[in-house]
Amino acid sequence: MDTLSSLMAGFSVAILPLNLALIFGGCFLGTLIGALPGIGPVNGVAILIPLTFALGLNPTSAMILLSAIYYGCMYGGRITAILMNIPGDEPALMTTLDGYPMAVKGQAADALAISGMASFVGATLATIGLTLFAPMLAKAAIHFGPADYFALYVMAFATIGGIAGADPRKTLLAALLGLMLATVGLDPATGVARYTFGSFNLYDGFDPIVALVGLFAISEILFFLEEKLTGGPKVPKGNLLPRWRSLTIGMGASLRGSVVGFVAGILPGAGASLGAVLSYGLEKRLSDKKGTFGKGDPRGVAAPEAGNNAASGGALIPMLTLGVPGSGTTAVMLAMLISLNVQPGPLLFERNPDLVWGLVASLYLANLVLLVLNLPLIGLFTRMLAMPVWALMPLVVVISFLGVYAITHAVFDLLIMVGFGILGYVLRKLDFSLIPVVLGLLLGMDMENNLRRALSISGGDFMVLFESRIALVIYGVTLAFLSLSLWLSRRTPALLADSDVSED
Amino acid sequence: MTDRVAGLAFVLLAAGYVWLSAGYTASFGDPLGPAIFPRVVGIPAVVLGLALVIWPGHNARWAGRDGMIRQAAAVAILIGYALLLEPLGFVPTSFAVLLGLSLLMQAPPVPAVLTAAVAAPALYLLFDRVMGLPLPLLGTAFG
Repeated sequence: MDTLSSLMAGFSVAILPLNLALIFGGCFLGTLIGALPGIGPVNGVAILIPLTFALGLNPTSAMILLSAIYYGCMYGGRITAILMNIPGDEPALMTTLDGYPMAVKGQAADALAISGMASFVGATLATIGLTLFAPMLAKAAIHFGPADYFALYVMAFATIGGIAGADPRKTLLAALLGLMLATVGLDPATGVARYTFGSFNLYDGFDPIVALVGLFAISEILFFLEEKLTGGPKVPKGNLLPRWRSLTIGMGASLRGSVVGFVAGILPGAGASLGAVLSYGLEKRLSDKKGTFGKGDPRGVAAPEAGNNAASGGALIPMLTLGVPGSGTTAVMLAMLISLNVQPGPLLFERNPDLVWGLVASLYLANLVLLVLNLPLIGLFTRMLAMPVWALMPLVVVISFLGVYAITHAVFDLLIMVGFGILGYVLRKLDFSLIPVVLGLLLGMDMENNLRRALSISGGDFMVLFESRIALVIYGVTLAFLSLSLWLSRRTPALLADSDVSED
Repeated sequence: MTDRVAGLAFVLLAAGYVWLSAGYTASFGDPLGPAIFPRVVGIPAVVLGLALVIWPGHNARWAGRDGMIRQAAAVAILIGYALLLEPLGFVPTSFAVLLGLSLLMQAPPVPAVLTAAVAAPALYLLFDRVMGLPLPLLGTAFG
């Protein structure tokens, strides 16, 4: 049992006092961030990355903190979805469908308990899946050549839109824009300065973290300024302690949702929203005999919650083993790992076992912490939702500024961040998703380098990209996925048509 | 249709991007060269942008006039924050930014002043003193 002993070693890393404290803090912060409308996991993690630098955390502890926040966000997103019909983040959109009707019927406590339990089941199963499959994939990934990596990047871009993005042309354009931004700066192979327009500040290119904080955090405040604000959200009062019996309802739906969500999460690019959508769709198909779905069926709450939590665990697999993120938030984590000089990929498991297994072990612990935070202590979070937006958003802006300034100490980067904020706002208004932009910016250099290596091997013949069997399989999966999402988008167009919420 | 404008913007951006790539040459034997990848990226972007111009799908609703004024004011505040952070220091600029943005978000004035007055020094203490992130308390203008 090689995996088991590695996992045990991981637990010895995870229970160090510092890491335990980070797990607790991250879970708490994450649930809060997930619950607050407008700040999703991507924004939350992006804003807090500078904090991990500020605290001087080593890569392992930094990853533990961010993953605990990530898992916490996935739990937290459901709170506002159920209580106020506002999804705290995009995957929670599916939870509103049956969760809010349950709350209207006076079963808010049950809905929160069921979804909390479903989140736990989904996230725990996904963590077990991560434990089992990540080492296997890492072993297989050692055989991946440059052409195969190039195919993987193509897959990530083709699938990132999932079915959440309305227009596939826009998803692709957004990815291409990210790739264009990634080429700014000195070309690593030839030293030619590209698209710098004579500015020495641009020789290093755009720092992904600066771009990320701008795209997500700064653009958010421009959104809030659009409309006249009408008071704080109304939080229903009353006892939110669940009945114990309600915990077991929807267990079957949770298990099925977990499997679907996990698979969706593993696909590079696809992400948590897709996991939630697919699991809800499947559960509706299997269980909706009396037409109760959409009217407050507990199984309609359990399935998407299990699905999105399982997807977030699954999304860590391609990020750690291949360096290709499986969701928006893991893309942000990848940016941080690269900034800390840790290159994710198959060799990470050999070179950095402490990081990988410490992270996996802390995910188990984080799930337990989150279960406690989200069942008995749920009232704490619902009370915090009463915090007015005018106090919250300016704080987010100031923390973004000081975080970026702390990393780079350059006023130029602050201006770049504001510029990315405006860009992010305009793109989101035009119905372009920001995740592909981030992915392009992050993966652009690696994509070019792998293309370069593949062509060096073949002597400049582009056919080398389609000669490897692994690459062909990846292109096949990509095509299958695209046809599936096309089919699904024809079946459920209205569901996701005008979702104007932040992304996973 | 905003999609047409967006598509056109992408066409122009990507075309300029591809056109500029012609100037990037390396004299030694790199199989790809610095110009090919920008073309691999830029040419599909031109095509997709054109497709968006010809078959637009989405029409964005922009903020109303008041909203636009608030957004412009916020951008001005953010740029001012970036430019004045070093000369004036973290605490005074952050106080002004917190107050300005919360007033833009229609905060009641007295709680907004109090929040900003507490939060700006508190953030300084938390990040500079507790976490050891060097921030300029007062800027060069006061030093």
